[in-house]
Amino acid sequence: MAEQLEVIENERTQYIVVKIGNEQYGINISYVDNIVRMQKITRVPKAQSYFKGIINLRGEVVPVMSIRTKMGLEDDVFTNASRIIILKLEQQGAFGVIVDEVKEVVTLGSEETEKAGTVGAKSGKESFINGIGKNGEELISLLDINAIIDEKENA
Amino acid sequence: MDVSQYLEIFIDETAEHIQSLSDNIMELEKEPENENTVNEIFRAAHSLKGMAGTMGFKKMQHLTHDMENVFQEVRSGNIKVSSEMIDILFQCLDAIEGYLECIKNTSDEGSEANEAIIAGLNRFLKKEEGNDEGTPGSKETPSKASGPMDAKELNTENAYERKYNNIVFNDTEKKSLKVAADAGLKLYGITVYIQKECLLKAARAFLVFKEVEELGQILVYSPSSHDIEDERFEFDFSFYLASDADLDKILKSIVGVSEIENAVGEEVTLSNYEDISESEESGAVSQSQSAAPAAAAKTAVSSGSKQQPAAKGKTNNKPVTNRTVRVDIEKLDALMNQVSELIIAKNSLVSISATESGSFQNQTFHEQIEYLERITTNLHESVMKVRMVPIESVVNKFPRMIRDLSRKLDKKMELYMTGEDTELDRTVVDQIGDPLQHLLRNSADHGLESTELRAQRGKPEVGSINLNAFQEGNNVIIEVGDDGNGIDTETVKAKAIERGLVTPEQAEKLSQKEIIDFLFMPSFSMAKKITDVSGRGVGLDVVKSNIEALGGDVEVKSVLGEGTKFIVRLPLTLAIIQALMVEIRDEKYAIALGSIQNIEDIPIKDIKYVQAEEVIHLRGMVIPLVRLDQILDIEPKEEEPESLTVVIVKKGDKYAGLVVDNLMGQQEIVIKSLGKYISNNKLISGATILGDGEVALILDVNTLM
Repeated sequence: MAEQLEVIENERTQYIVVKIGNEQYGINISYVDNIVRMQKITRVPKAQSYFKGIINLRGEVVPVMSIRTKMGLEDDVFTNASRIIILKLEQQGAFGVIVDEVKEVVTLGSEETEKAGTVGAKSGKESFINGIGKNGEELISLLDINAIIDEKENA
Repeated sequence: MDVSQYLEIFIDETAEHIQSLSDNIMELEKEPENENTVNEIFRAAHSLKGMAGTMGFKKMQHLTHDMENVFQEVRSGNIKVSSEMIDILFQCLDAIEGYLECIKNTSDEGSEANEAIIAGLNRFLKKEEGNDEGTPGSKETPSKASGPMDAKELNTENAYERKYNNIVFNDTEKKSLKVAADAGLKLYGITVYIQKECLLKAARAFLVFKEVEELGQILVYSPSSHDIEDERFEFDFSFYLASDADLDKILKSIVGVSEIENAVGEEVTLSNYEDISESEESGAVSQSQSAAPAAAAKTAVSSGSKQQPAAKGKTNNKPVTNRTVRVDIEKLDALMNQVSELIIAKNSLVSISATESGSFQNQTFHEQIEYLERITTNLHESVMKVRMVPIESVVNKFPRMIRDLSRKLDKKMELYMTGEDTELDRTVVDQIGDPLQHLLRNSADHGLESTELRAQRGKPEVGSINLNAFQEGNNVIIEVGDDGNGIDTETVKAKAIERGLVTPEQAEKLSQKEIIDFLFMPSFSMAKKITDVSGRGVGLDVVKSNIEALGGDVEVKSVLGEGTKFIVRLPLTLAIIQALMVEIRDEKYAIALGSIQNIEDIPIKDIKYVQAEEVIHLRGMVIPLVRLDQILDIEPKEEEPESLTVVIVKKGDKYAGLVVDNLMGQQEIVIKSLGKYISNNKLISGATILGDGEVALILDVNTLM
């Protein structure tokens, strides 16, 4: 009980750890609505290149974006481990991002995360993360959801 | 009970009265002598005042009261209607609308007192010396000043029966009366009469009870307090009050509530009504027999007197049982969503039954599916119909607007409207007002020439602006046209070059349509000087985007010197449409059935070229071919087939032939939005979920031509 109270005081946040390329990214769990398996994505002509298209999520039409294209990485290769993470923002509604693999859920306290800007300041990817988390030996780039949906494109 | 529960009714009815006032004042301007119109205005103003008073909106009440006074004088022939007066009256309407808007947003009328308008109104009254009956100040009994007609009719004391004598007490009521009497309080029986024009009777009764309860305690209600709250009573109600105040004071406080016609009452002693009740108990038969005809006579009296004003004014003949129901639009939206879900579910059943390999190859199963299909289609149509409202509610404010513009711009113009009863989905109607208003302003300001110029050109002095609405297939068309100068494409071209939008060489090649399209670009204003009517450059582009947001489009037809016509095309429904499903390679698209003219099989050799564009010549028409695969960035086919499947679509009088690979058949589809993330894609108007769960895109054919 006492330990739990401390947890709250310490502002611990849960992140879903996903793999995109060689890197591990953390997505704040409060944005995550759902994680679904890869399914048929209907291409939308003339849309932004990083939008793969739309899917049917239990009767709702949800746009799906390729975070790889957005970050300027090579194109997605869909495997059995590929997943679509459905993120929900209060105002704009839901959208999905394709990830290579979903690994685990970690809880990080404020002392285990570092604000962005201290590392890799010149990398193009910089603009999509707002911090770096340390989970034991592993480093997790914490994705900035608002930057992802921003119109800017890095391709 | 609380007045706030009447707020919605108040807002709705006030809006109706404002509209009726506006219409009638317009009428009055044309025929200042028309007595009916004056009476109609008087009634509307009077009702407004009453309602505002009831709800406690003092400033609004004050303003409408003064309006009413002016009409009182007009009605009695003391003041003549002048155009100055009409102007002031319109200002009043705007002010009332301002109050209403404020009330809608904050439940409060705001602080604007509109002194200037009130002063303006009073000037008319002051001009009329010697008749100060209606001037403000003698405001203590507005009911009398406003309704002398009723006063004459009912001013005799015997019209006000002491109905409280007819109340039959039950045991608990008797007990409570006894307790009060034992406590040394005086008991009063009181009957209150409400004016027959009163619209919110229950609210009035509530106010009366509030007044009275400051002085004492109400012990017995007739009809029951519950019935009074629900407005289940005629124009009077009675109650017994235990109080230590004297009768005069109580009656005065009751009559002080506005729209209360009269209150009668007397002090009663316990024995007095104990006798009544006892004798009633003992001789119940004889009593009730004598009471029954008396009651019948009473209702006859009250209904007789009610018929008179009812015959004079159509405003308050409310039917006892309502044939209509007011429903929150959100509930309809929810219903519509559920119907959509049902149709998706039905579509997946259809697709299961259509698969050959399935184990459902059973005759009855197919029949039931077809039956289900019919039902869902009918259900959808019914729900759509419920959501349809005539565009009247939007367009009926336009005559007034044109009148104001006519003054402001100093041009003579007249608005002619047809098809106000054309129906559209409620959500569309709610949002179409602004774009239409913009187009009308545009016509009035830019379209029509000045009166002098019109005279020079030999046109009628009064410019005409037309607003025509009608249905065409799955669309509703609203045309806004004028007989003004038309769009001078040369000037537009020059402006576009000046703005650096095109080079002079490019400009030479532009078609008339392409030039006119410049007008729809953001901040492209043609007005030579900025007026407060239009010319700030925020205009047609906003109109266009608003209409496109509703799934519609705008088209312009213009003949220089003869006039301009804006054609607004809106979808009849927003949610569910019949569509033709087509296949292009492995992608599926839906095309709204309403825009499809026919489907043709065209041999490759029949394709002709006009200006390097592919066209087909079909039954005397030259129709441009649209290669959907190219437009939609689909991989080209390796080899051209011998013939093409072409879907001929129609928009107004224009046609286009869409080349597809395969036809999949007709289907009822539920339109879903693509959401805000994917950049506004004009080609695609939405998506739909097919029976097998796959998502197909809906082509917006209007953008293809």
